[in-house]
Amino acid sequence: MSNVHTGELLNFQDYSPEHNERTARIDVEAVHTNQYNNSNISNQNYSFDETPGAVPEAETQPQSNHNFWTIEYYQKYFDVQTSEVVERIISSVLPQKVSRNYFDEKIKGKPDLYGPIWISLTLIFTIAVSGNIASYLQNVNKAVHWRYDFHLVSYAATAIVCYVWLVPLALWGVLKWTTLPDGQDEIETQTSNSPTMISLFCLYGYSLSIYIPVAIFWTIQISWLQWLFVLMAAFVSGAVLIFWLLPALKKSKYFYILVGSILAFHFLLATGFMLYFFHGPNAVSAPGVPVTPSVATIAP
Amino acid sequence: MNTFDSKYDMYPAGDVGVIEGEMNIPGRGPSSGDNMEFNTLDEPIKETFMRDLRAVGNKFYHVLIPREKTSLLKEWDLWGPLLLCTLMATILQGSAERADNSNDGGPEFAEVFVIVWIGAAVVTINSKLLGGNISFFQSVCVLGYCLFPVALALIICRIILFSAQNTFLFFLRLVISMIGFIWATFAATKFLGDSQPEGKKALAVYPICLFYFILSWLVVSHSNV
Repeated sequence: MSNVHTGELLNFQDYSPEHNERTARIDVEAVHTNQYNNSNISNQNYSFDETPGAVPEAETQPQSNHNFWTIEYYQKYFDVQTSEVVERIISSVLPQKVSRNYFDEKIKGKPDLYGPIWISLTLIFTIAVSGNIASYLQNVNKAVHWRYDFHLVSYAATAIVCYVWLVPLALWGVLKWTTLPDGQDEIETQTSNSPTMISLFCLYGYSLSIYIPVAIFWTIQISWLQWLFVLMAAFVSGAVLIFWLLPALKKSKYFYILVGSILAFHFLLATGFMLYFFHGPNAVSAPGVPVTPSVATIAP
Repeated sequence: MNTFDSKYDMYPAGDVGVIEGEMNIPGRGPSSGDNMEFNTLDEPIKETFMRDLRAVGNKFYHVLIPREKTSLLKEWDLWGPLLLCTLMATILQGSAERADNSNDGGPEFAEVFVIVWIGAAVVTINSKLLGGNISFFQSVCVLGYCLFPVALALIICRIILFSAQNTFLFFLRLVISMIGFIWATFAATKFLGDSQPEGKKALAVYPICLFYFILSWLVVSHSNV
């Protein structure tokens, strides 16, 4: 077996004499899907036996084969259908529409990054656009020549990207290191241990989806209505977050602190958005966000 | 037959799947396109230039009337997107003088540039990640060329801005950029929509919509008289 002349074996010109194509190509995918007798190989004058050892190996390979830097590595986080994305958005607003252990079964098992990324981007631009409309409506009766401010995009992007990445990261760390060891039943801890980082990103990304319609409604310049939307949006999506994370949170030593801080961060985000981008000129600026000259000129 | 069997026995039984490779014979065959056949060494530079320009113009035409699906996908180039992007960035850029009160809050030249190119790249990477079978630059080329309706809307809005502004003219600009947005999205969807598997089409089309929506928002908001 070792003394096979490799040059003789790899001599492709002998094998396909009737193909006039200038490009000869061996389709590796075709080998993976067990179609040995397709057009490239079938007119060679021998045929392979079924090789049962090769096929299961080829099927298990794509899970672990891909390098971190290739695009195929990330494809598993984008392997969602349209209906799944819609269902996940619904589950982040109305959890009673889906089954009770939807998070454990679906999101934890197959977290996606499509939803979080595009919901965040949509929210960034929705806030920038409707923030501009709001500032136009604030100045519509004044003599000021109103101009739009493109740079709201940058501020919204900074806030949202920080929120979507840093808060789940912190939560993941806290859950990992403060979870009490559950001595009684080892099997249960095996199945429902603390959620992975990616599934937390996924959950937080989808929980922002309620802010997209709310950001459009925030353009209505009635103060109590704006505050009502803040309370409603933050409460609904915060409560849904807590609802899905409840099994994991219960195991932590600092259950109440964690629940409180998740809700507090959600309220802080909503309040910050509303005050900074949508509220009238008599409002104070959002906590932690410095007043820049552009905002001062927009809302004189 | 006997010799062949003995040769076949020498094949290792299991690892058939590891053979991998591609064989190319350099140089194009006569069937792969007759316009590539002629010699371009001794032609005047004007002809070379005009031929490329005609190819770009032809692609613009196909964006405006998106009937043939494969017309933009055959040979990609980035000249058209570069032209459109530079034009849009030049018109859209705001003045950078923030010290006095004449700040017009528009994007900088580079910001428009970054939005167009990074945006097209992100949309393309998204469709690759979803499993679409299209090459990176083909998709960037199509997305760039499909900016043409948006750029047209921008030019028309720019002309409208020369007259004194009132509410009617604002709504006219709004309608024009809406038409540009819908046109661009329609064309890009027509060219790129088929590259996605069924059930994921909406996931790939939504980022395209968002991309053109952002640019149309810039067009309608631009009021730097």
